[in-house]
Amino acid sequence: MRLRAFLAASGLTAALAAAAALALAGGRPPRDAEVRATISAADALGGGDTAGFARATAPRPFAFPRDHGPHPGFRNEWWYFTGNLDGPDGRRFGYQLTFFRTALAPAAPRRRSEWGASEVYMAHLAVTDAAGRTFHAYDRFARAAVGLAGARAAPFRVWLEDWRAEGEPAPSGSAPEVRRAAAGSTADGAAPSERAPFPIRLRAAHGDIGIDLRLERGKPPVLQEERGLSRKGPQPGNASYYYSLTRMPTTGTIRLAGDTFRVRGESWMDREWSTSALGSDEVGWDWFALQLDDGRELMLYRIRRRDGSASPFSGGSIVAPDGTATPLSLADARLDVLDHWTSPGGTRYPARWRLRVPTAGLDLDVRPVLPDQELNVTVRYWEGAVDVSGTSRGRPVRGRGYVELTGYGDAAAPASADAPAPSCQNLPTFANATGCATFRAREPGAPRSGPRWARGAGLRATGR
Amino acid sequence: MSPTLWRSSLRHLLRHPWQAALSVLGIALGVAVVAAVDLATGSAGRAFTLSTEAVTGRATHEVVGGPEGIPDSVYTRLRVDLGVRPIAPVVEGYARAPAYPGRTLRLLGVDPFAEGPFRAYAASLGRRTHVAALLVRPGAVLLSGATARELGLRVGDALVVRAGGRDHTLTLAGVLEPADDASRRALDDLVLADIATAQEVVGTPGRLSRIDVRAPDGAAGAALLARIRGALPSGASLEATSARTGAVAGMTRAFELNLRALSLLALVFGMFLIYNTMTFSVVQRRPLLGTLRAVGVTRGQIFTLLLGEALLIGAAGTAVGLLLGVALGGGLVRLVTRTINDLYFVVAVRGVSLSAPALAKAALLGLGATLLAAAAPALEATSAPPRAVLSRSLLEARARRAAPRAGLAGAALLALGGGLLAVPSRSLPLSLGAVFVLILGAALLVPLATLGLMRAIRPLAGRLFGLAGRMAAGGVAATLSRTAPAVAALSVAVSVGVAVGVMIGSFRDTVVRWLQSTLQADVYVSVPGFSSTRSDVPIDPALARRLTATPGVAAVTTSRTVTVSSPVGDVRLVAVAAPRGVVRPFRFKEGEPAEAWRRLERGEVLVSEPFAYRHGLHVGSTVALRTDRGARTFRVAGVYYDYASERGMVYMDRRAYDAVFDDRAISAMAFFAAPGVDPDMLVQRLRARAGGAQELWIRSNRGLREATLVVFDRTFAITGVLRVLSLAVAFVGVLSALMALQLERSRELGVLRATGLTRAQLGALVSGQTTLMGLAAGLLAIPVGTMLAAVMILVVNKRSFGWTLEMSLPPAMLLQGVAVAVVAALLAGLYPALRMARTPPAVALREE
Repeated sequence: MRLRAFLAASGLTAALAAAAALALAGGRPPRDAEVRATISAADALGGGDTAGFARATAPRPFAFPRDHGPHPGFRNEWWYFTGNLDGPDGRRFGYQLTFFRTALAPAAPRRRSEWGASEVYMAHLAVTDAAGRTFHAYDRFARAAVGLAGARAAPFRVWLEDWRAEGEPAPSGSAPEVRRAAAGSTADGAAPSERAPFPIRLRAAHGDIGIDLRLERGKPPVLQEERGLSRKGPQPGNASYYYSLTRMPTTGTIRLAGDTFRVRGESWMDREWSTSALGSDEVGWDWFALQLDDGRELMLYRIRRRDGSASPFSGGSIVAPDGTATPLSLADARLDVLDHWTSPGGTRYPARWRLRVPTAGLDLDVRPVLPDQELNVTVRYWEGAVDVSGTSRGRPVRGRGYVELTGYGDAAAPASADAPAPSCQNLPTFANATGCATFRAREPGAPRSGPRWARGAGLRATGR
Repeated sequence: MSPTLWRSSLRHLLRHPWQAALSVLGIALGVAVVAAVDLATGSAGRAFTLSTEAVTGRATHEVVGGPEGIPDSVYTRLRVDLGVRPIAPVVEGYARAPAYPGRTLRLLGVDPFAEGPFRAYAASLGRRTHVAALLVRPGAVLLSGATARELGLRVGDALVVRAGGRDHTLTLAGVLEPADDASRRALDDLVLADIATAQEVVGTPGRLSRIDVRAPDGAAGAALLARIRGALPSGASLEATSARTGAVAGMTRAFELNLRALSLLALVFGMFLIYNTMTFSVVQRRPLLGTLRAVGVTRGQIFTLLLGEALLIGAAGTAVGLLLGVALGGGLVRLVTRTINDLYFVVAVRGVSLSAPALAKAALLGLGATLLAAAAPALEATSAPPRAVLSRSLLEARARRAAPRAGLAGAALLALGGGLLAVPSRSLPLSLGAVFVLILGAALLVPLATLGLMRAIRPLAGRLFGLAGRMAAGGVAATLSRTAPAVAALSVAVSVGVAVGVMIGSFRDTVVRWLQSTLQADVYVSVPGFSSTRSDVPIDPALARRLTATPGVAAVTTSRTVTVSSPVGDVRLVAVAAPRGVVRPFRFKEGEPAEAWRRLERGEVLVSEPFAYRHGLHVGSTVALRTDRGARTFRVAGVYYDYASERGMVYMDRRAYDAVFDDRAISAMAFFAAPGVDPDMLVQRLRARAGGAQELWIRSNRGLREATLVVFDRTFAITGVLRVLSLAVAFVGVLSALMALQLERSRELGVLRATGLTRAQLGALVSGQTTLMGLAAGLLAIPVGTMLAAVMILVVNKRSFGWTLEMSLPPAMLLQGVAVAVVAALLAGLYPALRMARTPPAVALREE
């Protein structure tokens, strides 16, 4: 889940206007409220409910490479690449390249102009340089029209302008066949269909900061939770389809202010699509994707509720070295915050954790490689590379990963509905203080509250 | 200087309130006309600049394409394949809202996600507006709050607009409320839409009007521009935005300069008035001034005193004139805008915008003109010895002696003016300057000519009217110091009126003849554009086929008019497909017709006379045009007379056009009726077949000719208004001069009455005198007016617009000039005559 949910659903839509105004204005959103968007998410969505969109209500068969491509019936979807890389002399880097697709309306009207679009893409690029202690983050927006942005399954390609993730063309003319993956499957070796998008090439740059990476096939896709159906709340349909590629050997280059570094490491991709997700009481989440040197991966997310407790719909999975995934429930993990960091904008984020999963024999210390990995873009949140150390079944273990933190700016947000800005900090004002990631799902009959544009915006975060 | 002197001066002004008031009025009118023209052209110019800036924003460069614009794919290639940014796609067009007649809306289609770096108000796109709605809902638009309120629209309301002859229903998705005034004005009548909606409304799906580029300064910017250039297809090019704005603004320069010159004439007439008033007041106060000089007041003090008086009048006149000018400007701005829209480009002007520099300029001109006009009489009063100032007869004698000298100076000025015109230059200011020199020369000749005329008329007048007639003629000559300026002012005003009238008349006759010879087809079909003379909007191809197949059509000629860019700026290009056997009735200025038509078919071009003049082209020269196949040069096969476009046209055969442009559209069709088919019947049939799918103008030959002349007359409406205003100033001048003259002569007339002249005789004498002055002015205006008309037609017009006009000099126009002068003088003399006749001789004799 992660940011994706909120971003794609609420944030993206709400951010459209702001992006329009500032997407390129020097990369930094102007601070004055005048420029900030107050776009009506509800109006933008043409009524704001989920009518006309597909819903994730029951497990479905997954098929690859088809499901690497877009699922246009759903409102929101994302391709979320993160990775930890080593440069020469062990210089440590982290990167994030994310593409969000949001449908503004269930069906695109037929139009004479090809610019007519019902889908908008947002992309985030972030690079962490641990040695240089710098963090760079950028965002972009474009409509899915005239080739400016889009996605397709075969040959695999997701792009927003010149930021792109592309599968290399298949070596021989073998038409990629569709293969069914079983829930929680341990997909074994290399059926051609599983190889299909690999290697994936990621290319994105903003000014003199950029990445050019080649991701090889690692472990097979993991269908998260209930055979890929990830429930985010008690209401049926507040769920997403969710699979992950938890470990992909990665090589390539990172460009930083004139220097180009050859890098090598491992990446993770999360894929999710949904129409609605988070419940009303949920304010944000902490999400962990950790790759351990015992060959296992741990994915864990905790949806935080308004009262500070964790939602029962929190969860995660452990992926064995052979690719077998074991779902985790809220009760399986214990998360303690050891430290905090306050951003220049005044948002206080957790900054170190003790993470225990007794059933998997894990007791881990998770530390950000830099405290400041806050993406200060149109939609503001924290997403950054972390180092892991601890024990795995009593033996020392090390690892790396990515952590995403959303919904922390809420307390600092102005209460005025007139000063909305599409940042995490301010989003609550849209959503009547329900939280950065948690535009309330309005189920039929649910009471309407909050500003009109927030009511029934149909914006929900995900949480699985 | 002592307050006593000033008081005497003030008392003099108060004693002659009429005189002072008329002077104030004269200056006021002159200043008003100057200020009004300046404000009106300035407002139009500013409105244009603002609306250009509104749509250009902070772009430094733009990618522009052929007549059809640029394919979407060029933008995608730049943005996606090459990662070039910041760039932004733009679709621009015009639309009319049938519910709001007379209003032209400018449609700007943008991609909200690419807008940030370009247009300031894009920042407010996000506020209370609905970017997603713009994207998703076809027809969703934004307006400025002010425009929405003027149109009475609320968010959610529908707005029906007509563009390209089709109606489109738009929905107001939100309003923009820019914080600063300049942005607000820039958004006047601007309809902001998503690029998809704009393409659909303008009728250019798949095409962009341009791609805006914002390049940083220095090497990075140069590298960016080089990358863009390298990626462009042959039909597109990258240009600095300043080039376009400058070129467009430059188009109206000649037009504005001519208007300014005309407005300055009004001020010149005002100067005559001041000169006259000051001369008169000096003459009137000769005893006082003589006494003052005798008691020791220095020349300098007298000079300052007189100039001070003039300044007072000038200041009052200027103040009133500025107020009048602002009011008048509001009226003129509509005429100016109309003409600019007809001739040059579409601009929406919302009333007159006050500009401090324009007002200051008019004020300075008013005060300066006053001082200049007053300097001569003031010098005159101070240069004479004290005793001489006392003598009036001496003054008149000197005036008569001065007449030949002034005449000589006038002749010299006329020669100078002629010389200036003969300078082989295309400079418009130079030729306008020459016109002013000529006018001044003619004015200086007036005293001598008046003397001569009076001498010639006197015997005749004596024979016709007896003593009164002889006395009237003699009186004009005897009081030359005061009659000459009045006659000169009237004469020059009437000549300018005659000249402008002859010029417009010749122009109109030329256009009428040209239309008669050029419009050979029976029915013409085109799409209404936003200017009456230009239309790029294509006729629906299916509709065109349907119209062509109309029974009773013998042949059809189609044309495509587009604007293409070239190294010398935008060029209007017309490509014509004429069936074999259709004779194209061009008159050639250069080139042998048969040969020219042959060469045309081989891919050479014809250029219209203004185009050839502007760019110095002759048969054999080449014209470079940017085509969809890259830059191409075309040889000029002939230069033809054409009065359709002031900027000129390039004429091409359709096959040659199709070889280098991908555009297959047609803009206009000309139908020839089959033998025995009534053209009006054909119009009916074509209208019936056209249906309502696309709004078309379907006009018979006569209808088109009439419509063209309506536009012509509208174009010259402002010239006519200025002509009348100038005449009004001159009329006030004559009125003031005559009144002063007759009032001053009250003693003389009193003597006449005392010696037995009846009231009626006195009235006749006074009226006769003024009539004679009017007659003199009118007669002098005939040669002067003809000369000025010739200069305007052969030099000023040619240099301004490049047209050859056949001068037609209708005698009626000249006689009308004489009549105007006589009537003006008679009217001006009416009141003084009545008053003199009523004054008892005893009172008149008492004088002051």
